Amino acid sequence: MTATTRTALRARINEFTYHGGTAAALRDVGLEIEGGSLTAILGGSGSGKSTLGKLLGGWLRAGHSGTLRGSLELGGTRLDFDGSAADPRINPAEWFRRAAFVPQEAAAMLSTVRSSVAEELAFGLENRATPRQEMLRAVDRTAAVTGLSGLLDRDPATLSGGELRRLAVGCAVITEPEVLVLDEPLASLDPAGTAQVTDVIRNLVAGGSAVVVLSQAVDGLALQARQWIVLDDGTATAAGPPGKITESAELEASGVRLPGSAVSALASTSPGPERVLGKGPAILELLGVGFSYPVASRRNGPATANEVQRTNVLRDLDFSLRPGEIVRIVGPNGAGKSTLLRLFNGLLRPSSGDVRVGGNSIARTPVGRVAASVGLLFQHPRDQLFERTALREVCFGLRPLFGPGGATVRALAALDEVGLSNAAQVHPAELSASQQRLLALATVLAREPAVLALDEPTVGLDRHGVERLSHAVKEAAERGAGVVLVTNDAGYGRTAADRNLEFDAGRLREL
Amino acid sequence: MRLHPFTALTAAACTAVATTAAASWQLSFAVSIISSVLAVRAGVAGRVLSAAAVTVGPLCLSLVVLHGLFFPEGRTVLAEWGPARVTAEGLQFALDLASRTSACVLVLLLFSFTVSVPDLVSALAASRIPPQFGFVLASTLTLLPAIVGSLDRIRQAQEARGLLLRGSLLAHLGALRLQMVPLVQGLIEDAGIRGQALEARGFGAPGPHTSYRHVDDPPGQQIFRALALVLAAAAVALRLLASWPTASL
Repeated sequence: MTATTRTALRARINEFTYHGGTAAALRDVGLEIEGGSLTAILGGSGSGKSTLGKLLGGWLRAGHSGTLRGSLELGGTRLDFDGSAADPRINPAEWFRRAAFVPQEAAAMLSTVRSSVAEELAFGLENRATPRQEMLRAVDRTAAVTGLSGLLDRDPATLSGGELRRLAVGCAVITEPEVLVLDEPLASLDPAGTAQVTDVIRNLVAGGSAVVVLSQAVDGLALQARQWIVLDDGTATAAGPPGKITESAELEASGVRLPGSAVSALASTSPGPERVLGKGPAILELLGVGFSYPVASRRNGPATANEVQRTNVLRDLDFSLRPGEIVRIVGPNGAGKSTLLRLFNGLLRPSSGDVRVGGNSIARTPVGRVAASVGLLFQHPRDQLFERTALREVCFGLRPLFGPGGATVRALAALDEVGLSNAAQVHPAELSASQQRLLALATVLAREPAVLALDEPTVGLDRHGVERLSHAVKEAAERGAGVVLVTNDAGYGRTAADRNLEFDAGRLREL
Repeated sequence: MRLHPFTALTAAACTAVATTAAASWQLSFAVSIISSVLAVRAGVAGRVLSAAAVTVGPLCLSLVVLHGLFFPEGRTVLAEWGPARVTAEGLQFALDLASRTSACVLVLLLFSFTVSVPDLVSALAASRIPPQFGFVLASTLTLLPAIVGSLDRIRQAQEARGLLLRGSLLAHLGALRLQMVPLVQGLIEDAGIRGQALEARGFGAPGPHTSYRHVDDPPGQQIFRALALVLAAAAVALRLLASWPTASL
């Protein structure tokens, strides 16, 4: 199909301020998106990408969510906003039908009350009173475009990360919008999921859709884009074809992760004179560990042999970690990487074998005590943060280890290490997603554990965040801590690690 | 044969009404036994019986204590301790009431544990009941597992930071407070994002909605529902007629 050159969406945002906000979230942003094109909006953490994406996709509405001064033009219809009560009102459902937005958290897109992928896809059509026969055809067509044809009868709750992301895209494109805006569509996906989502986007562009991806990294998708727009502190600082932007100072200053930027940031993490790599006894050992999740109760009799097979996540797994060693573990989504980390500190107990920390079995030690030796950073920082200020957050649980005075000193040092010294008295909920992740990292670092286990630590981090992370990992390794990184982020992980392991049928093998 | 959700609902509701109207402990026991057998066959016996035990157990106990020991109309005294008298009439009344309540609870629990929620939501939508009603119904059933899962993740994250879930009740309550903050924040945030997604997908749009899921409603089941409703109404009418002279005295 020949790509068209008609303008699908044109936006001129002079200023957008959230209700209750003291400063504009977006200023002087202009963009023009053509049908059948891929555009990448690149920006670091807090640059305003998601705000812009939601404005373009009708999730944030002028007057309803904030004050907009500027104009939006969709399919030839232009709406002008001056921040007054007389501004035009956008009907989100009608807007979404023509310019759809898919959030980074794909699950948030779903209704949660539909029992199959096909029904979830049809949800938006049901709400438009589409006749059933027409819905059946639309579901088949959308499933073919998004590669979901073989999954139509599956419960959405059982989908992998890549499948879920494709379902969210399917829910957006089933009404055949002219514009599709995707927020970080490749975040936390394994290589297979990345390839699947990339294929879907390529198909949509080839089919004439205008696709906009929001990203804080120049990833494989961004490299395929016809146009880049760089956002920095809410302002578009550069726009044009990738060749023109790649070497620009604006892109460099934006905090966007560039191909190879992680490499340069991490060059100094390779074992240096301070590292005592490979010496001393193992600080963490897994000996013949097996683990299986209990089979869910079923209405139609006991689980089949195949289902039992699927719940056996780990089989006779051996692993050891030396002081100062950095190990990276990769594997497809759902392979058991996060499960493995939870075995390190006893959050999950092995069904066979033994886990030893510092040479001692932790089989009968409460998690809260193992936590003094094993620090675990989870995928979702929101679950980890619960105090009133960042400083209190980091101080939590430190007093028994270091005393009242020592706890504050270490907490402040940890905040400084991740670049959040100035945010010590800020409520964690007020921090950006990237800062929340760094704060969660600080809570782990402050304990100075012998083992540092980090689950997908780079997700949501821009280049500055990754540099902070790599520095902290290096420091921890230099003081003798063993570090386990579970990450599919090849750019970061490959360079940081001394050893790369891959999940293979419930065991780990060297890469 | 697959039951239309309205057929199952009608059968359960009419059985509960007829059992109450009949006021016969023999019928109540029969309904309880049939419900239990059906629960076993559907593979939900454990959940139905444990839920029934939690719901009905304390109630039955209080009925036996209240009416078994203190039944003013009781004449046949079986035992006596001061003001408390165990009478045959009191025990009979407690048995009637307990068996009737148990039968109703069991039959309704059987329905709620066996009905296909997607089928029910779809049938409601097809009956032109506002889809928001079906959504709230389905959300109610999916919210609790979601909260449990979320609380578990939060507890894990906090234990990994040194929270020791041991010791006094006070310590556990303190830990619960720490878990509530991220739970509530998360729920509010999720609700906000999901609300935007639902709105964008046209959920709040006025006017008719259609349903992708097709639920068969054979004519035989429609006739059964009509008959069941007539029979339940007849049982209530008969009960009223039978009780009328007594009530007027």
